[in-house]
Amino acid sequence: MHILEFKSVSKSFSDKNILEDISFSVRQGEIFGLLGPNGAGKTTLIRLLLDILRPDSGEIRIYGDLLSPAAKDRIGYLPEERGLYRKTKLLDMLVYLAQLKGMPKKQAHLNAETLLNSLDLYQYKNKKVEELSKGMQQQVQFLSAIIHEPELIILDEPFYGLDPVITKAIKARILELRAAGKTIILSTHIMEQAQTLCDRILMLNKGRRVLYGLVDDIRKEYGKNSLIVEFAENADLNTIREISGIKKVVESGKFVEIFPEEGVNIQTLLEELVQRANLLRFEQALPSLNEIFIETLESAASE
Amino acid sequence: MNKFPGNKFPRKTFIVARHEFLKTIKRKEFLFMTFLLPFLFAGITLLPVIFSGMSPIKDQKVGYIDMTDAFEFPEPIRSEGLSPGSSEAKTSAIEFVMYSDIFDARQALQAGQISSYLVIPEDFLESGTIELYSLEKEAPVSNFELSAELSGIVITSLLKDKVDEPTLNRVLDPVNIKFYNIEKSGESSGRGIADIFASFGLPILIAFLLLFSIFSSSGFLLRGVAEEKENRIIEILLSSVAPSEILTGKILGLGAVGLLQIGIWLAAVVVGSGYALPIKIEPNTLFFALVYFVLGFLFFASMMAGIGAITSSLQESQQIAGILSFAAALPLIFLQPIITNPDSSSSVFLSLFPLTSPVAMLTRMAVSSVPVYQILASVFILFVSVHGVILLSSRLFKAYLLMYGKRPKVKEILKNVWARSD
Repeated sequence: MHILEFKSVSKSFSDKNILEDISFSVRQGEIFGLLGPNGAGKTTLIRLLLDILRPDSGEIRIYGDLLSPAAKDRIGYLPEERGLYRKTKLLDMLVYLAQLKGMPKKQAHLNAETLLNSLDLYQYKNKKVEELSKGMQQQVQFLSAIIHEPELIILDEPFYGLDPVITKAIKARILELRAAGKTIILSTHIMEQAQTLCDRILMLNKGRRVLYGLVDDIRKEYGKNSLIVEFAENADLNTIREISGIKKVVESGKFVEIFPEEGVNIQTLLEELVQRANLLRFEQALPSLNEIFIETLESAASE
Repeated sequence: MNKFPGNKFPRKTFIVARHEFLKTIKRKEFLFMTFLLPFLFAGITLLPVIFSGMSPIKDQKVGYIDMTDAFEFPEPIRSEGLSPGSSEAKTSAIEFVMYSDIFDARQALQAGQISSYLVIPEDFLESGTIELYSLEKEAPVSNFELSAELSGIVITSLLKDKVDEPTLNRVLDPVNIKFYNIEKSGESSGRGIADIFASFGLPILIAFLLLFSIFSSSGFLLRGVAEEKENRIIEILLSSVAPSEILTGKILGLGAVGLLQIGIWLAAVVVGSGYALPIKIEPNTLFFALVYFVLGFLFFASMMAGIGAITSSLQESQQIAGILSFAAALPLIFLQPIITNPDSSSSVFLSLFPLTSPVAMLTRMAVSSVPVYQILASVFILFVSVHGVILLSSRLFKAYLLMYGKRPKVKEILKNVWARSD
């Protein structure tokens, strides 16, 4: 089931195209990565789907319906630009934000206490936000995005500025939410995170869709069909280059990358290698999202 | 599928309004404005009275040398105070001490037995001059009081045996005006000074309170918007609530704050005056005061909200707001001309111009009978302006709430205001 659908959505600000003809859909229960360099249009796309901005053309559907105030209530949002009421008591603020999402006060109160308890922040519930440490504030900010039990959660650069401990905690939370059947849209420009967390991605560059699909499919598609090999001790690379069917051997620190010729049997190649050196690692190399990302940007720039 | 049934459009507006209301009345600035301002105000008006009442409390002894030998000084005389006919106990007292020659009086003055002495010269009847001597460092007795004292003594002494007592009393206290209004029915009703205050002072007081309250609550609105923009929480709000709901909620919440504030102030005035004020405001005045408060507040509040949306920092927004507040305060500067000349063309203009009309019109209505068509025109112009400003502000709200850092150029703003965005 598609939870979110963009159909040929375009948006421009004073004659500058921010998004051009963007189409994609998000499935229920997946972590969907929204990738792209700064200025690619990620934040604008998020604001469109939150109905903060309206598209110039195209259609946005949530749960199959056009955007409506009721649909907005079922979305949770962690903006890139963090903000909390600094002088408001923690509990009051969470309850207020949940109420604005249409949750009854009692339920909001209950949820706020449960969530604060789960993060060991319960004893601070009557403290003002500005009295909390920065790490606590970041966690509270995350809570404010999920307190009203949204089915679709949008996280814009959720790990930005977090220390490793909190990053780990929030990552765990995100996976928990997915396990509970929630759908998560994760906007980031850090590709490693997207690669480890996301099921599918949409990559934007200069307002255009450049990549879209399953992370694994994209990596295979961009695969250079190379092999990563690590030897136990320094092997003589020249003897390896002599193996028939090897086009190129590239030394790359502790391991070497071997590019076989088209149609070569990988199994035969492995046997040849084993005869010439002690192998520690032998795997088919898939480019990281980061490499694909950079390659895509570079090819776009040279166009 | 709606997860939370009963979630209708106005509910979020109400939630925003309640949040703004509770947040604002807990602000230190609000508590200060609301509870200390009446005291400051009362202090400023009452202090001179208190001080003038306090200084003469210690009895002052004034010596006199009467060279005409024609005056009878009561001994000691308790001063009768300022307002004739009032029965209140007097705090001041001047005791007159007779000296037969100037040398004795001077010695007594230097010895500190008296604070000053008077010399009534022989040619007093012709010149009317009395000389007052006191030590340089010492402040002489209140001139006003002494003068009133002496006038009484002179009149009494001169006329005592020549006219009857009622005539003497009339010379001492010639006229007390009592005001009457002839109503349409032909009946007349008496009006004392208190009634005049009720029909004149009270509306002006209300106009003042109105202005203060509009200033303070629309100021809070501006602060609120600028703060939410500055700390970026506005983005979370916008992802939950429509801009128009936020704007309406804020205006309603802070309007309630303004009404509460006026209520507290009026209560303070009533209690502070020891319930002496006849709160017998004409229903008309009360009705228009309410109309002007609501419209005036909406006008300024939505304007402030628009400014808050455009500017990127609190400081910047306050600078712009200051200019508008100055415009709103203009009627206070022109209060005197409006009161003395309520029907002049400039007064009429100020009472029609939306920035100044609430205070100017209420003031005019207090001092003269303003033609009904002018009142209606003023309310109508204000109403239309309110509508325009709300429309304008909600557009600015939509267009600029998410822009940080740079202030948009005037041209851009105008473009956004005129362009129909949806």
